[in-house]
Amino acid sequence: MQNNAPKRKIIKKIKKIAVYALVIVVVTYFIFPIFWLVGTSLKTRAQAFSTPPLFVWEPTLRNYIDIFLKRQTEIEAITGKELELATGAETFFFNSFLVTSTSILISTLIGTLAAYSFSRYKPTGTNTLMFFILSTRMLPAIVVAIPIYFFYRYIGLYNTYIGLILLYVMFNLPFAVWMMKSFFDEIPKDIEQAAFVDGAKPFKVFYKIALPQVYLGLGATIGFLIINVWNEFLFALLLTERATRTVPVMIAGTRGEVGINWGLIAAIETIYILPALILIFLLQKYLLRGMTFGTVRGVK
Amino acid sequence: MTHVKIKNLKKSYNGRLVLKNLSLEISSGSIVALLGPTGAGKTTLLKCIAGVEQPDDGEIYFDNVNVTYTPPWDRNVALFFQTYALYPHMSVYDNIAFPLRQAGVNVDEIDKMVKFVATKLRITHLLDRKEPSTLSGGEMQRVALARTLVRKPRLFLLDEPISNLDAKLREEARTEFKRIHREFKQTIIYATPDFVEAFAVAEKIAVMKDGEIIQYDEPINLIRKPVNRFVATFVGSPPINIVEGNLVRTNDKIIFKSDAFEIPLHKGKQFETLPDKAEMAFRAQSVLINPVQPDHAISGKVLASEFLGHETILTLLVGNSKIKAVVKGRSKFTIGDQVSFSIDTNGILFIDPRDGKVILV
Repeated sequence: MQNNAPKRKIIKKIKKIAVYALVIVVVTYFIFPIFWLVGTSLKTRAQAFSTPPLFVWEPTLRNYIDIFLKRQTEIEAITGKELELATGAETFFFNSFLVTSTSILISTLIGTLAAYSFSRYKPTGTNTLMFFILSTRMLPAIVVAIPIYFFYRYIGLYNTYIGLILLYVMFNLPFAVWMMKSFFDEIPKDIEQAAFVDGAKPFKVFYKIALPQVYLGLGATIGFLIINVWNEFLFALLLTERATRTVPVMIAGTRGEVGINWGLIAAIETIYILPALILIFLLQKYLLRGMTFGTVRGVK
Repeated sequence: MTHVKIKNLKKSYNGRLVLKNLSLEISSGSIVALLGPTGAGKTTLLKCIAGVEQPDDGEIYFDNVNVTYTPPWDRNVALFFQTYALYPHMSVYDNIAFPLRQAGVNVDEIDKMVKFVATKLRITHLLDRKEPSTLSGGEMQRVALARTLVRKPRLFLLDEPISNLDAKLREEARTEFKRIHREFKQTIIYATPDFVEAFAVAEKIAVMKDGEIIQYDEPINLIRKPVNRFVATFVGSPPINIVEGNLVRTNDKIIFKSDAFEIPLHKGKQFETLPDKAEMAFRAQSVLINPVQPDHAISGKVLASEFLGHETILTLLVGNSKIKAVVKGRSKFTIGDQVSFSIDTNGILFIDPRDGKVILV
């Protein structure tokens, strides 16, 4: 037995090194694009285009200043042509923020209430309805893109905030309903029944008893919805013009024939992915066990 | 003080009938136990009375007022959940205070009442705990009990309220129920699978099985006059002895003949309608070891001997049947010994093997 001890120790060490190596590879794989993005955003146009790529350079904040402050880009100065970007990126950031926050507020509100009633009151045809809701997500978005474009033009929702918000609500609701329903389903029924017997009425039971127990799930749902809407490109491109355009479309729009300022694009993208990055870090804790665990006998 | 009447209650889950046309009347201010094994429908019945489950059919009356469709928040009953059902996101204090807050009791009064009930159940030190899920099983049960007892409802419904407590606290909790009952004359319905608990607490017991009430009677009658084999075997410890055999009629006597012994009996009331085959049932306490009159002595071999502190339970092999006998103190018999005994004929019941009903008492 004792002879095996050092051997086992070595195997354990090798295993540990292997795990660490794997973690480093995986982390590099995911982090490198972000590192490159941020790096490019701190380069001048010339540095961004240099071959071989620069790994050490004198960083500049010029691109960041250009996004919001400078009204005329280098390219415009040379060519005399006005780029879309030059009108000020803050409008597009504002549009993205407005559309994302409003659509998510509405879809979370409706989604949570719908999910709760599906989970608890089980109206006639719940299963059929739930499948119907899911089925709206089965079609690739591109299939409905053209009809929606004409429909929007026809009813006057084209190039409006409301139009884009309603569309995102429609796309996000199934996800919100399904996800929140699964969280509500996990709450033992007894807890709400206890609240009823204790004298609380249905709406109070919903917001005082059921909702606080799915806060983590609600957070996770909102997180996923934000990522969905924040990054949406296709419909934002189809249904908006300058006034209501969101950042993803604006970024694509900067690739003009006069050349691509990668540094500037990288700077916009860096700012743009920041909220999503922060969210992903926050989401980690949602993976933790739900709060309801253990308070009901037999459910551990 | 509430008189509860349940009329032809039916409830099914996913096509399975859980309550089958159940009727029950509980007089105002009494303690009634619902006694039955798991799956008997005790919890469902309590939930229907509380209003959190809607029966498919039938009616529930509180003091002759039909409350079948009254929502639970308007019924003013307190229900202790077998699963405790503590609010996981509230502190222990808030859990106990919750029903009082719903009733609009003022803050000082709430504080007084919560602390009073917490002292009674010895959970004062837990009041500040933020997450009830970190409590032990016994602590959770006491918190849930405190949340139930802090109120002054018209009716208490308790679903296995003390199953997870240690023996001493269990005893005290029972005393507390009785005190509440004495002081406030509240009607209490108490569900339990443990007949000892039911006997200790209740004035009347409804024995339930498969969604039906088999017998609703005073505790002593469940022992002396069980209506069928289920009640006879479910109530009492050790379980009642059952020996199969034939009833042979003579002019003035009935003789029960099993494969190993026969016992002569006096004519009973139902002498004429007796079946030929019958099961004889008798309690372990009716087995008299070393009878003084050895005329009808039966002989058996000791299979097991369990000493329980005040008494010994002997398992005897008689013919093909195993018979349990209770002996006071520590028994001198060991495994393999031959024992002679008689059966006290006053404690004998007969069961019709065809339908399981008790036929001669």
